[in-house]
Amino acid sequence: MKKRLMAAVMAGTMVASLAACSPSPQAPAESKGAEPSATTAAQAEEKKEETTAAPAAAEGDKTLTVYAWDKNFNIPALQAAEADYQKNVDPEFKLNIIEQSQSSDVENAVTLAGSAGDYSTLPDIVLFQDHYFQKYVTDFPEAWASFEGASVNWDDFGKEKLSYSTIDGVHYGMPVDNGTVVFAYRTDLLAEAGYTIDDMKGISWDEWLEIGKKVNEKTGKYLLSMDGDGNDLPYMMLQAEGASQFKDGDINLSENEAFKKVIDVIVRGVKENVIYLANDWGDYTDQTIVGDMVAGVMNGNWIIPTIKQVKDNSGKWEITSMPTLEGKGKEGFASNGGSSLYITSNCKKLELAQDFLAKTFGSGSVETYDAALKNGGVITCSISAGTSAVYNEGVEYFNNTPIYAEIVKMGANVPVVEQSDFHYPTRTQVAAAIQSIINGADADSAIKDAEDQVRFTMQG
Amino acid sequence: MTNNLSKVKTNSSAIQKRLIPTYIFLTIWCIFSVFPLYWMITAATNASIEIAKGKIVFGTYAAENFKNLLAAEPLWRSLGNSFKYSIVQTVLCLFVCSLAGYGFELYHDSVKDKLFGILLLAMMVPQVATMIPLFRMVSGAHLLNTVWAFILPSISTPFMIMMFRQNSRNFPVDIMEAARLDGLSELEIFFRMYLPVMKSTYAAAAVISFMNAWNSYMWPKVVMNTDTSAMNMPMLIANLSEGYTVDYGQLMMGVLFCSVPTMIIFFILQKQFAEGITGSVK
Amino acid sequence: MNTTKKGTSVLAKQHRAGWFFLLPATIMIFVLNFYPMLQAFIISLKKGSPAALQWTTPVFNNYTRMLQDKLFIRSIGNTFLYLLVQVPIMLILAILLAQLLNNKDLKFRGIFRTMVFLPCATSLVSYALIFKSLFATQGLINSVFVNLGIFKDNFNFLGTPWSAKMVIIIALIWRWTGYNMVFYLAGLQNIEYSVYEAAKIDGANGWETFWGITVPLLRPVIVMTFIMSINGTLQLFDESMNLTGGGPANSTITMSHYIYNNSFGQGVGNFGYSSALSFVVFIMVAVLAFINLKVGDKRD
Repeated sequence: MKKRLMAAVMAGTMVASLAACSPSPQAPAESKGAEPSATTAAQAEEKKEETTAAPAAAEGDKTLTVYAWDKNFNIPALQAAEADYQKNVDPEFKLNIIEQSQSSDVENAVTLAGSAGDYSTLPDIVLFQDHYFQKYVTDFPEAWASFEGASVNWDDFGKEKLSYSTIDGVHYGMPVDNGTVVFAYRTDLLAEAGYTIDDMKGISWDEWLEIGKKVNEKTGKYLLSMDGDGNDLPYMMLQAEGASQFKDGDINLSENEAFKKVIDVIVRGVKENVIYLANDWGDYTDQTIVGDMVAGVMNGNWIIPTIKQVKDNSGKWEITSMPTLEGKGKEGFASNGGSSLYITSNCKKLELAQDFLAKTFGSGSVETYDAALKNGGVITCSISAGTSAVYNEGVEYFNNTPIYAEIVKMGANVPVVEQSDFHYPTRTQVAAAIQSIINGADADSAIKDAEDQVRFTMQG
Repeated sequence: MTNNLSKVKTNSSAIQKRLIPTYIFLTIWCIFSVFPLYWMITAATNASIEIAKGKIVFGTYAAENFKNLLAAEPLWRSLGNSFKYSIVQTVLCLFVCSLAGYGFELYHDSVKDKLFGILLLAMMVPQVATMIPLFRMVSGAHLLNTVWAFILPSISTPFMIMMFRQNSRNFPVDIMEAARLDGLSELEIFFRMYLPVMKSTYAAAAVISFMNAWNSYMWPKVVMNTDTSAMNMPMLIANLSEGYTVDYGQLMMGVLFCSVPTMIIFFILQKQFAEGITGSVK
Repeated sequence: MNTTKKGTSVLAKQHRAGWFFLLPATIMIFVLNFYPMLQAFIISLKKGSPAALQWTTPVFNNYTRMLQDKLFIRSIGNTFLYLLVQVPIMLILAILLAQLLNNKDLKFRGIFRTMVFLPCATSLVSYALIFKSLFATQGLINSVFVNLGIFKDNFNFLGTPWSAKMVIIIALIWRWTGYNMVFYLAGLQNIEYSVYEAAKIDGANGWETFWGITVPLLRPVIVMTFIMSINGTLQLFDESMNLTGGGPANSTITMSHYIYNNSFGQGVGNFGYSSALSFVVFIMVAVLAFINLKVGDKRD
């Protein structure tokens, strides 16, 4: 009632100002004057989309809208699935992809819709970051539709990946990109310091630091760089140990020996010029990786297209698994920053949405995944799709090794660790703690501060 | 006679000599002001990797950056949207606020003055505070992704009302009396007398309102992110600047397209802008 | 009798017209500012998921909690540092520039004025990006300084706490000095030239004229720009968000940025707490503006 009153008042004010205003404000809306005469095919395409853009309203029966956020990465994957479904199931099917500037835009859209108690503003499907999903189900249980009733072979996906999107045994998410961590090294630079890629496998972080020092002495490059703004590095290193920053739903840093050791490795690495901490994400990718400052990159495999931007270094890179604290042949596996597709409760065509996802991403469809890999560099989470011929091809940039098949295999080894709704606040606070320790603060108290701040947020 | 003239000349050259420090200071400041903008323009003509290395001369990559930008984002549509939102908002804002400023000043009494004081409080409300309730209202009225969602919160602003109220002090009350005797209604006085006289105030207000609307980013992101065809220029730039990899050449080309219109508007309305502001600080 | 009646009715008509003129704007401010503010206040007494907010117990829990929030206290510190350092520098520079540009003998006045104002025509999103690139570790400023021999190595401006704050302050000065200058220039143009000539005859030098005439006559404008700047600085958001991301180690985070992080930034969605924080910011702005007005009035 109150809402309706509000709407009436607002509409009233609007009409009043409209009526009073002599030049019709609708006029500029209709003028397409800004559009130039040269109308390319692409623009014509966009115009067509314009008419169907409003989600869940007046759409064709065979159209689904979806939010995604990276036109060089996950959007091509969605386009691949669309083409696959059009070709093999229904030629009239259409996927309307609404580009967001970043993943948090999607989260905010759900938050806002939830706070307004009106999910009708959401599209049929959203691409959503895995780390966030649990919290969004807890907070907005009514925003989601599950995959119950859809025929999907879930065993084809790694357990760790599914652990994010499965709640009480119910599947909510369709895995898209694989976040399996790779450690890529410049073999030519390693050789200068007297090492091969095999020397990097199954070693301890202490041994790795020693190698890093030598590499820096001989070549002037860092063995690893990381975005100093987020704690991806400690998270990945900890997961490789099978450990977590959380315990029984609570933050667990100051009493967490593995965590403290990991932080110690990072701090030593930074002080000894083995690890370079960039200021932010752009600095990390553009300066350290594309700017050719490093001899090694460790991150989710979605970082590979960034590495490949430096054309001159083709053939010089290879990948392997992560070091661990213990070493002695023990390899580390982790996963960072994947996302999955989730159907929202606003989807009026639930069966179509389920069928579309099940027959493309959900069935290891070679057509979808091969095109997604070629056009967007998106590596599948589907174990069977990872065996295709395209996946087993040698990649020239990585010295003709079949890195994609290897990544899919590595993905199956990633341990499941406790996740938390507060993954991102923790990441920020841990990053701040690392910065403080490097700048001379006492490690234990900095870690305690970070823990206190996260706990404070959790109590909210 | 000639003597006199040369005297004036030496006098003015003496003045100019004394102004040398002023010229130096102003030149330095102008370099500081303009350099980042110059850099923005050169960056738009360079390749991403050259920009990252800090190249400051014009390159040959402009066409390429422009082509990439067109391929990546609906540039013309966003530019059109930005113009649409900014023009509608400016027109409505000017109308509603000037009407109010006129009413507050020329019909003022103690109640209206108190009311004005209360309205000024709204200037201090942080945007982040009202964003959530405002979103609920806009969503409840089914206005998401429309131009109304964009402009509603910015049509009536205390700052604009204040500006018109201040400027209205210069409006001669005698004219109003004369017009009333001629049988003009109060509304007619506003349209026929007030509007033409206050031209420069309108120009100043238009510049400010247009710039605010054009640069608006946070609020449109909240109410318009469900429809790519509603995107404005700052949102387009944000799209370009996020993602796993960023093409800086393309990005700076976008930034250039976003910055040029407001600069042109300022150039055109500069003189009136200065006059309008002058009236408001009297 | 008849005429007085007619007179009052005309007056009443005018009275009504006055209200009619200011009503649309007033209603809109009430509906679109005050009503949401009231809503925000109610939300600030609640907690939990944005879809199902619950009252906190005790009712003002979100407000009392704040006192233990080290990060919020830190963000207050950062914001006030910007306020105390940047606002005075900026306003003094703006008055100085206005004073210089107000000289009738100055050539190229129009060009200078345009160039000084130009920065505020760039959008907030754009200018944050520009400054970020300029001050990047491999960026232009570094390469200039290294080439000139001022720095031995590239300096990480945005990764060092003190210099990151400095970059924000420089960026703010760049963006807003011209804007404030326009107001001062306008104020100066309202001062009769004869006042200055009188001062000249009395033998006052430039410095004395400035403090004796310019500043007192500009006081209303100074008060206004102070209030605008305080308001803008306490709500500072874009620079912290886009230029430094609040880092390194939260050393540049502002109050508004922290509020944003609590509501939208990190998937926390803690609307109750963030509304409470914004109310505190509102009170701070209002109190400072009030003090400013009082101080500005007193010397009259």
